[in-house]
Amino acid sequence: MGILVDRNSKVIVQGMTGREGASHSRAMKEFGTQVVAGVTPGKGGTDFEGWPIYNSVAEAKEKHGANVSIIFVPPAGAADAVLEAAHAGMPLIVLITEGVPTVDMMRAVQEVKALDADNRAAGGQGIRLIGGNCPGLVTNGEAKIGIMPNKIYATPGRIGLISRSGTLTYEAAKLLNDAGMGTSTTVGIGGDPVIGTTFADVLPLFEADPDTDAVVVIGEIGGADEEAAAEYIASSMKKPVVAFISGRSAPAGKRMGHAGAIIMGNVGTPESKLAAFGAANVPVADTMPEIVELVKQALNK
Amino acid sequence: MKLHEYQGKEILRQFGVNVQEGKVARTPDEVRQIAREYGQPVVVKAQVHVGGRGKAGGVKFSPTEDKAFENGEKILGMDIKGLTVNKVLVTKAVDIDAGTEYYVGMIVDRNVQSYTLMASAEGGMEIEEVAEATPDKIIKHRVDPVTGLRPYEAREVAIKAGFKGNLNKIADMMVKMSEAALKRDAVLVEINPLFVGPDGNPLALDTKFEIDDNAMYRHKDLADWRELEAEHPLEIEASKYGFAYVKLDNGNVGVLGNGAGIVMTSLDVVNRAGAKPANFLDIGGGAKAEVVYNAVKLVSKDTDVKAIFINIFGGITRADEVAKGVIQALKEGILTKPVRMRIAGTAEDEAKALLAEVNSPLIQMYPTMFEAADEAAKEANAAEAK
Repeated sequence: MGILVDRNSKVIVQGMTGREGASHSRAMKEFGTQVVAGVTPGKGGTDFEGWPIYNSVAEAKEKHGANVSIIFVPPAGAADAVLEAAHAGMPLIVLITEGVPTVDMMRAVQEVKALDADNRAAGGQGIRLIGGNCPGLVTNGEAKIGIMPNKIYATPGRIGLISRSGTLTYEAAKLLNDAGMGTSTTVGIGGDPVIGTTFADVLPLFEADPDTDAVVVIGEIGGADEEAAAEYIASSMKKPVVAFISGRSAPAGKRMGHAGAIIMGNVGTPESKLAAFGAANVPVADTMPEIVELVKQALNK
Repeated sequence: MKLHEYQGKEILRQFGVNVQEGKVARTPDEVRQIAREYGQPVVVKAQVHVGGRGKAGGVKFSPTEDKAFENGEKILGMDIKGLTVNKVLVTKAVDIDAGTEYYVGMIVDRNVQSYTLMASAEGGMEIEEVAEATPDKIIKHRVDPVTGLRPYEAREVAIKAGFKGNLNKIADMMVKMSEAALKRDAVLVEINPLFVGPDGNPLALDTKFEIDDNAMYRHKDLADWRELEAEHPLEIEASKYGFAYVKLDNGNVGVLGNGAGIVMTSLDVVNRAGAKPANFLDIGGGAKAEVVYNAVKLVSKDTDVKAIFINIFGGITRADEVAKGVIQALKEGILTKPVRMRIAGTAEDEAKALLAEVNSPLIQMYPTMFEAADEAAKEANAAEAK
């Protein structure tokens, strides 16, 4: 089970015939994900390794009843690809692409939110964007809509995982696996300054998921997403949450790879994040392996 | 990409902002020439990509032509926080006391998934200091990325911030600044001070402008403005390889990993181990041996680095490729400092076998990132103590 995706999810890949799109389409298929079609404008009507290719998302969605789109379109066209999927009414859109201009993302995120609100007001199921610059999401043993290594997400577990960093998500999943716990759904929300879905958006889904017992939040310096998450946890969550914050020793003002990881003034500092989680009674691991210990403790309470 | 003050001013001017006039000089004689042209007094301002140049002596009021020449001599060639001043901006001086200095800026704000406009009557100061000491003196307003800033919103913000003068003209300047930000993909744009003279009209005396690197492909006309000599030499080399690299001060352990998150955590782990990271280097995903070789080569060139900590969690990245890259650097004599690494994931056993074959004390692999970091810290601190 898990959240957002399961074995019934029908996935189309925007940019399937590109290098990244192709290799990850194969890997998703190997994982067991129902990848039903690809979209590459201009190549509609062709076949790619057994998958039909369409010129538009709307067409692929209609022909296959697809409900998820994953995007591997290069940065210059990525936000446009998101908007195409959103206007086609795709309920879940996962943008993997790294390096999308921030102004494009601001506009795309705003438009997706407006469409989402309209859809819901009209009784529809809404539209959710995850990413960009994210590894995607995976519900163990059911479906992977992303680029994470298949092996560590093969066995179902009961710990939900949300992270701003790709590699650290793998690290945490492996640690939880090795400790015999494993993850339910992992959501990589992405490291960019403007993203479609935040920690606070995902937490209620885990709170409502009968197959998740506890949630691990892997944050990093910069922004106030962790602070917002802490606020939500304090006000609305019954399930235990454990946190980790990456980059606690990074010097102020230096940008560490992710455009989002910059400390501006006193917003987004490790101190402010630690204080927020502290106030919400969320234990924060000092090191990654400590995450496992804290989850164990939280579950035994 | 960070722009120099004169470049930021040029962009604002193109969008119709009333900007303090100025010209760039590369020699003291040119400074004198401009001072003569403008009439005195003038201000000579270092053009370097660091904050606090005023405090460092990089901005000098020059009441006479001779004084301007002299200040040009002093500032050109000066070292400010490790960067050499190659250019100065010479502007007409403004009688600050006759008017008021304000602050306006726009910044990408992830919390509102848009730009936030900031305005404060505390102009002329570093806005970070104002934000810390008196946060209520900064008025913030979300700018819609589709419509941009509307004049009525700008007036509201100016009024709330306590701006005095010709409000329509001040608001117009803010609107034009926001157009510049949106059209030129600014990560940050500031006008500080925004000077309002006795006539009530606004004038941009100084500006900061930084463009989203992800959007540089659509600002090819500005590509010439990128000055490699104004950046750290190792950062220039890193950008050739496509690495995300940041040189860190006072470090002794070179750090590299695959992904921004894991590298940030690696910095934390090195700190915990009692050493200081000398750099942040993200080799990205799926790196082949050659990429790792280049990364090792780059970090080895940093004379501050006494040991190297490599932290890889391979999904797409193969551990044996990482090992091959490190071994190649060793064989070519590039690697002279101890490498302590943790490589987990895909092809881990193959990596171990390759390293066993080479059997060099310089390269050691450990099962966890902590052990590898501890050993790297130990080596680096010992080398430094010598």
